[in-house]
Parts: sequence; structure tokens; C-alpha cells
Amino acid sequence: MSLDNILNNWSDYRKGAEEGGHHDYEHRWTMAINLDVCIGCNACSVACYAENNLAVVGKERFEKGQAMHWMRIERYWDQAADMEHPEQGASFLPMLCQQCGAATCEPVCPVAATYHTPDGLNAQVYNRCIGSRYCSNNCPFRVRYFNFYSYYESAWPSPMEQQLNPDISVRDKGVMEKCTFCVQRIRTVKDRAKMEDRSVVDGEAMTACAQACPTSAIVFGDTMDESSAVSQLWKKHQVKRGTYQSTRGEKANPNLRGYRIFEELNVDPSIMYLERVREDV
Amino acid sequence: MSGKMNRRSFLKMMGWGGAGAALSGCDLPSTVTLEEGKEEVVSYLMPEEFVIPGVGVWYSSTCMQCSAGCGIHGRVREGRVLKLEGNPDAALNNGKLCMMGQAGVQGHYSPDRIVAPLMRSGGNLAPVSWDKALAVLNEKLGATNGDRFAWFTGTISGHQLALVSNHLDAMGSTKHFAHDVVNNAVSQAVNKDMLGEANPRLRLDKAKMVVSFGADFMGAGQSPVHYAGQYAKFRTAKQRGLLVQIEPKMSLTGGSADLWLAIKPGTEGVLALGIANLLLNKIKVSDAGIPSGVRKLIDRYDVTKVAKITGVAGHRIQRVAQLLTERSPSLVLAGATVEGHAHGYDSVAAVMMLNHILGNVGKTIESSGNFPFPQLMAKQGNTSDLVEFAAAASGKKLDAVIFSGSNPVYSAPAALNLSDAIGNIGFKVAISQFMDETTALADLVLPAASYLEDWGTQVPATQAERSAIYVQQPLMEPLHPDTRGLGDIILTLLKQRKTAEYGQFDDYYAYLRNAFAAMPAAVKKNTKNNNEFWDAALQTGVINLDVPAKKLKSTVVSFAEPISEVGDADANGLYLLPSPRMGLLDGRHANLPWLQEAPDQISKVVWDSWAEIHPTTAAKLGIGNGDKIKISTHSGSIELHTVLLKGMHANAIAVPLGQGHDDYGRYAKGLGVNPLKILDATRETKTGELAMYGTQVQVTRVAPPERLGIVRLGSSDTQAGRKLVVTVPVEQLRRTEGA
Repeated sequence: MSLDNILNNWSDYRKGAEEGGHHDYEHRWTMAINLDVCIGCNACSVACYAENNLAVVGKERFEKGQAMHWMRIERYWDQAADMEHPEQGASFLPMLCQQCGAATCEPVCPVAATYHTPDGLNAQVYNRCIGSRYCSNNCPFRVRYFNFYSYYESAWPSPMEQQLNPDISVRDKGVMEKCTFCVQRIRTVKDRAKMEDRSVVDGEAMTACAQACPTSAIVFGDTMDESSAVSQLWKKHQVKRGTYQSTRGEKANPNLRGYRIFEELNVDPSIMYLERVREDV
Repeated sequence: MSGKMNRRSFLKMMGWGGAGAALSGCDLPSTVTLEEGKEEVVSYLMPEEFVIPGVGVWYSSTCMQCSAGCGIHGRVREGRVLKLEGNPDAALNNGKLCMMGQAGVQGHYSPDRIVAPLMRSGGNLAPVSWDKALAVLNEKLGATNGDRFAWFTGTISGHQLALVSNHLDAMGSTKHFAHDVVNNAVSQAVNKDMLGEANPRLRLDKAKMVVSFGADFMGAGQSPVHYAGQYAKFRTAKQRGLLVQIEPKMSLTGGSADLWLAIKPGTEGVLALGIANLLLNKIKVSDAGIPSGVRKLIDRYDVTKVAKITGVAGHRIQRVAQLLTERSPSLVLAGATVEGHAHGYDSVAAVMMLNHILGNVGKTIESSGNFPFPQLMAKQGNTSDLVEFAAAASGKKLDAVIFSGSNPVYSAPAALNLSDAIGNIGFKVAISQFMDETTALADLVLPAASYLEDWGTQVPATQAERSAIYVQQPLMEPLHPDTRGLGDIILTLLKQRKTAEYGQFDDYYAYLRNAFAAMPAAVKKNTKNNNEFWDAALQTGVINLDVPAKKLKSTVVSFAEPISEVGDADANGLYLLPSPRMGLLDGRHANLPWLQEAPDQISKVVWDSWAEIHPTTAAKLGIGNGDKIKISTHSGSIELHTVLLKGMHANAIAVPLGQGHDDYGRYAKGLGVNPLKILDATRETKTGELAMYGTQVQVTRVAPPERLGIVRLGSSDTQAGRKLVVTVPVEQLRRTEGA
């Protein structure tokens, strides 16, 4: 996508979700994460480091909130304050870029470095980014990560640089980065399908996190493909793309477990979570 | 094949010895020649037609990051391995891989690898040539024999184990010490006595309810990815499985429990007796097969008494007992926190007895069958071997020892005095990828290839529904030309002793080719010839075996009262829990920056050690969150910062394993403390294992919180009313998803 295209069709790109969005989507890459089987083990997070050339920042920078974990596992304690022990365990939350359909990070970028792709992805153009960090400031999920340093100088001492994934870049100082739904893997799969003159098959494109997940809590796929596993899950749980749902108001069956985080913000996240279940013993 | 050898010794040499007759029809020999092996010695990385620059090709191999032995696929591009994933053909892990497996590439590409043989001269280790190193090795090993020579390894299996055993035979020694801090040795002993098998198949996926006494089966267990896969099936079954976790410190597995109960360290066996008491006397389950002594023991532990000793509320115990009878079949597990006391065997036996009473044996605990190749079966590491080794070393009973895949100097409690005792060993050889505490004391260091550059076969102790041999193949040329594979090194040692037999193999690859060719025909049934079989094995990374079925016995052994006479009566005693975590594990992964930067799953701390302590205990001791404290035992003390967590029993203080390395490369350097050092060297009475969770400690506050004392992910422990993780009751799930 050229910058010209964006500037000339700015209003198109900013058409809100209420107006049906702006794209003739080719794909809508989407995720479903079942919090009842997520065990919080970190496999997804480390798989993401391995796939996406994420820099390790070390203790001091981690403390300053400069860690680059595109995929992180948050852990909450939900028990009442007067309970002596967390009797229902911990609440784990895999948090990554929600690839919002009406992303709050996009309109604030002064240089259109973050924009929406025809795949439904919230893309980040590294060599257009000037590091204003407005996007990060505007992200309700806190999933954008800024390169405060030139990590390539220190994060991969030789021969560690040989592990770097050549399919994507190593980002330099002053650039914002974030989860891409493993766009390089999607790209490869789309190219292959095109060469073979067919459509992408469900399960062919797989993010590193979904691939690794030992409990298969993460399901990834294209919701434009109605037969895909992820489409089926969204349908089953009656979670719809686009318009605001007062969390449960529009669901024919409000007891179904699907929900999107911060639904009320109307940002149209591409990730549906399935509620964690506990049995009262 | 030369005619010098008979069939039996040939099979033994190739690793198929022992009870292999279970699979008959071994298609040996006339075709098994060195020439055949040689013919195929072509680097598989010679560009093939399908290798296209810029396109990754996936090769199968086997993960060696812990002893679970999961199947992996490695993405190779332009001759470099870039990314590891689970191998979908491997029934054990079903295409999945944990964080430690993912980080395997970091060990391989580590900047701190040893790249040349090193020999001690004038007190320091200096580079030497392989020729020189092997000549010295030959001379030193030639000067000793019998039990004065030993191998010291971690958990080891497959043909590497077969070669180690054959080398020990050649040396006339019986001393193979296998050490692993993260082990289930006590459970193995109990299982052997009660079920007839040390490592039966546990089937969480068939259970309606799991009661786990400290078994962190999805975290720092024997096969975390395998059990996590089973757990997903257990949770998503038509009737959602119910998980009750009972432990003194919340483990990763405990974090997923429907009911998590804190229990006083070392009293798990008592709780099991209390549950048994309710089952037999109140719910009137049959007590058939329970020895009268045990029956009497059970009768002595009514709920009130048990609640008092264990700290678990009486109504909880009654509820768990009730549920266990309603949700059948269930599965009751015992883990490291139960095993790690002087009375560990008795506690585990009491816990495992519940499976007998509940009729779970045969339903959720199955026989893993008669594995047909006992020579290849995993020799699982434990801590009793560590103690024996320390004793042998201090008694000056060892002339030469070869270390591989284990770091005893790091993991031995100071009370064993191992770092001094090891000085009594005349010649210490370390086969290692990295300089670590043990390697640093060696007289000769042989630089090992990484597991991604090496050949091998792995036979995991925990097998999936279908037993298999997992095949390890190099995913790239050696990064450092002067490193050598473990198999190659052992083979070289064997050639020094048994030239006639082993001289025919150019390298470990040739040995493995021959070994595969000599594999019984029953295993190779779907392939036309040896080459096809070999190719198929490399392609899938797995050799599935039809293992003859076996039935477990369901018995209860007589066991003693599962409580220690001293200590447990002390209401204020504080037990140190040196807990391994999925991540750094026993410290072997402290040199992998991805794993250092991955927050601990429960406390969310990175790049450090910390002490987990319950807020009420902390308050009693005048300790606040983040304070620096000193934990002291008879054997020393450690200083570190606290994290107050409610997922702790009031009588426990947990310190994760993994940090506190003196010598393990730049990423492990200067971080945290090693709690193993200050443990008492008390041993489990029946198995001789170290009672790792039985050390009582004194805790004092040293200093207030400081910047960088504790660095954690996230600043909030609560959701502050936001709907981030929503929890719903199981009844709702039953209405909508019929679970």
C-alpha cells in the first residue's frame, strides 16, 4: 500500500466499524482463545520470541516496562481480598495485539505507519514509523512495543544472530513494533496458494503461538472462510465482528462463553476469548 | 558382519539386547555390513533438489531440553536451523512444544559454547587438539578399571545409553550414576511395588476428576507437553474434568485447579489416609486388598485429626472424598512435594492407595506394556545417585569419571560437600556444551555438539498411548567444527577398548545405520528394505512400536505412618520448597535469555531468584512484599527478595530453582541464588533419595525493598473490576456446551 493511496483515500480508511468498515476484505485473520484450557505456561510467548526476532532486553529495561513481549501472559488473582488462599487457581490471560477492526492506534499515527490491511490486520510499517508513540499511548490493550534502543547491537551476540528469522526484519531504535499475527507466515501461505491457483486452506496459516500451544487453547484462522474452525467457534459463541454489542446484549444465548475484551470500547477486536470455567467444589 | 560375534552379543552391541525376543524375527545379518553404512554416509545437508534458497524445509528430530523427549520439527533455511516446533507425528506431544523446547535454538546458537577440547595444565583449562585429548583419555582410562571408573549422566536413553552401558562393560565397571533434580524416583519405587511398573501410563484424558497432591504435571513434571495435551482433553470432555490440586505452594498446574488447597508440607500422606478413612468407613467403599497394618493406620486418621495435622479444612476433605466416589474413574497423583521428605515413600504410597480403593488402576492408570528393548529404556536420573556419588568420591573410590548431561556440582546440597570431594577423583572428564560448575572442575573438557547437530535415539520414560523410539538427527552442520556428538565420543571411547567390535563403525551415524538395519523385522513391517526404513524413521522422527500389552496389578503395599516424628509437630516450622519451574527447570536453562526473560508463570518475576511467602507468615515475621530476607539452614544461608503470594501454605517458603550459577555463561551470571545449596542432606528412608522438601529454615528480614530487587511483569494482581478474564461457573457451561 502506498502512502499516496492512504492520503488520497484517508476518509475511506477511517470509516468506522458502525458504517461497515472500509474494506473489501480478502481475509479476516482472527483468533479464538479458550481461557478454560489456557494453563499460562508461556509456550506461546517464547514461540513468538523465536519466530519474530523479539529482542531480549534484560532486567533493568524490563523493569522500565521496555520488554518486547508481543505475546505476554498476564496473571490475575480473582479471589476476594479476605480469602486466605486463591482456591480457584490463577486467571491467566494471553494478551497480544487484538488486530482491532476499528483500531484506536491507527488514526493517531501522524505518518500512517500503522494502517489496516485487506487481510484485516493492523499492520505496522517499520520504515515509515517515526517513533511518535501516539499509537502505543492510544492502545487500550498495551500491546505496542517501542524500540528504545538499537537492540541488534547487543541482543544477539554472535552466533545468536544466525537464529534470526530472515523472513522478517530486526527493528531499529525509534520504531514501534507489535504482534502481526505472524504476517510472514500468512504471506508465505497466500503466495503458495496463489502459485497453486487455489484458496488458502483452513489450518494452513498458523501463528507461532497457536502452533505451539500445548493445550490448543489458541485457534487461528480466517473468518471470511465460513467453514474454518475459528469461524465455527465465533458462530457457536455468537460473537460478531463489527458493531458494538453491550457485551452480551445481542447474544441470543447470553450464557455462551465467547467475549471480546473491552467490547464496550467499540474497537472491534479480532480476538474472541472464551471464558474461564471453574467448578465450585 | 564378521563371524566373530554371536547373535546375542551383536544385538547387545546394537542396543537391541535383553528381552527383545518379545518382537521376534530379527532380520540380522548378512546384509548388515559396514559397507552398507558407508555407502550412505552422505551429509544429508548436501543441497538436495528441494532445497531452495529462501524457503525453509522442516526436518524431524527429538527435543533434548528436558528428559520428556518430545518429537520436534526444525525449520532449516540456508543450512541454519531457525525455529523448532512440535512434531505432529509424535504421539507424545502431538505437534506441540513448551517454552523450554522453543528455546532449544538459543542453546545451540549460544555465544558461550565450548568450541575446542580443553585440558587442565598448571591449574587452568587450556585448549588442546582432539588427538591429544583422546590420547590422554585413552591413557587415563587404560590405567583404571572396574568400579573405580564411572559415568555420571542425567536421564539418558536410547542408543547413547546402550553405548554408555557397553563402555562401562568394556571397562568392567557397574558404576553409572544418573542424576536429575527434577525426578519422580520415589513415585517410581511406589509404583513398582504397588502396580508392578515404575512408569505406568497416566490417563488424565480418561479421568473425570484428578486429585493431584503436588504433581506439577503440566509444569516441571516428567512430560509436561504430553500431560498438557491430556489435560485439554480432560477439560473439554463432555463432562468437564474436575481438577483438585493439593500442595504447599501453587505450581503451574495448581494455577488451573478448580479447587486449590494449601497443605502443610510433608503431611500429604496423612491427608490421603484421611480421605481413605472417609471412603472406607463412611462411604463404605470396599477395603479389599488393603493390608491390615495399613487398614489400622487408616482408622487412626479421622477427619478432625487429619484437618488439624494438614491444615486442610474438614469439610473440604469430606467433599473431596465424596466427589471422588461420584466422579469415577478418577486419578490421584503424587508429585515432588510429597516425595521430598524422609517419609516420602510412605506418603506417596498412601496417596497411590487411593487409586486402588477407587478402582482407578486399569482405567486411568494403564500398563505401559513390555517395552521390547530394555537396553534402550531410559535410565532416569535421581538424587540418590548424587549422594552415592558424593560418598564414592569422598571415599576416594573413583579414579576416573566421565560427566555428561548433568551438573552435580551445581545441584548438590553443600552438606554433601561434593565440590571438595570431587577433587579426590584423579581424572574428571566433562562432555559439555557449556562451561558450568561441574565442567569447570574437570581435568579434560570435550566440547559437545548441540542436540540440533547430533544423532541419536530417545526412549522417553513417559510414553504416549503408543510407545515409540524417537529419532534425533542433525538439523544442521556443526556450528563449531571442533565439537563432537555425544554418540561419536562414546563410540570413540569404545573403539579404544573394543577395537575389534566397534572399529567397523566410522562414526555414530554409521553405528546407528547398522543398528537400525539390525532392528527386528517386526518393527520395520511397513517398509521394503533397510534404506526405506531408515528414511521413514528420519522423515517422521518416530518409530512406533507395537508393545505387547500387560496388565497392572492393583495392590497396596504395607507402609509406615507417613509423617515424620520430629518437625511436623512444630506449628511454626517453616519448610523451604526449592521448586523447579517450567522455564529454567533445575538450572540447566539459566543460560537461555528467552527463558530468563519469560516471567515465572505464578509470581511473574523475571531474571532473578525470589522467595514466595504467604502474607500472614510474612506479617508474623515482620516481612513486607519485596523486602530482602535471609533464609538460613544448618548448611548455610541465601539472601533474596520476597514476593508475597496467597498460593502458599503458611508453613512454607518457596524459592525457585535455576539461578545462582557461578559459572554458566553471560546470561546466567550474577543472577539470584541457588536454594539447593542450603538443603539438609536428609534422605528418604526407603529409596535413599534426597528429601528435598524437608528442610526447615530460619527467616530474617535484612533490608527494605529496593529498585531492581524484584522485577515483574505487570503492576496489578487484580483485574480492578474490568472484564479481562471472565470466570463462569461450570453449571453455565453445562447448559450451553453440555459439558
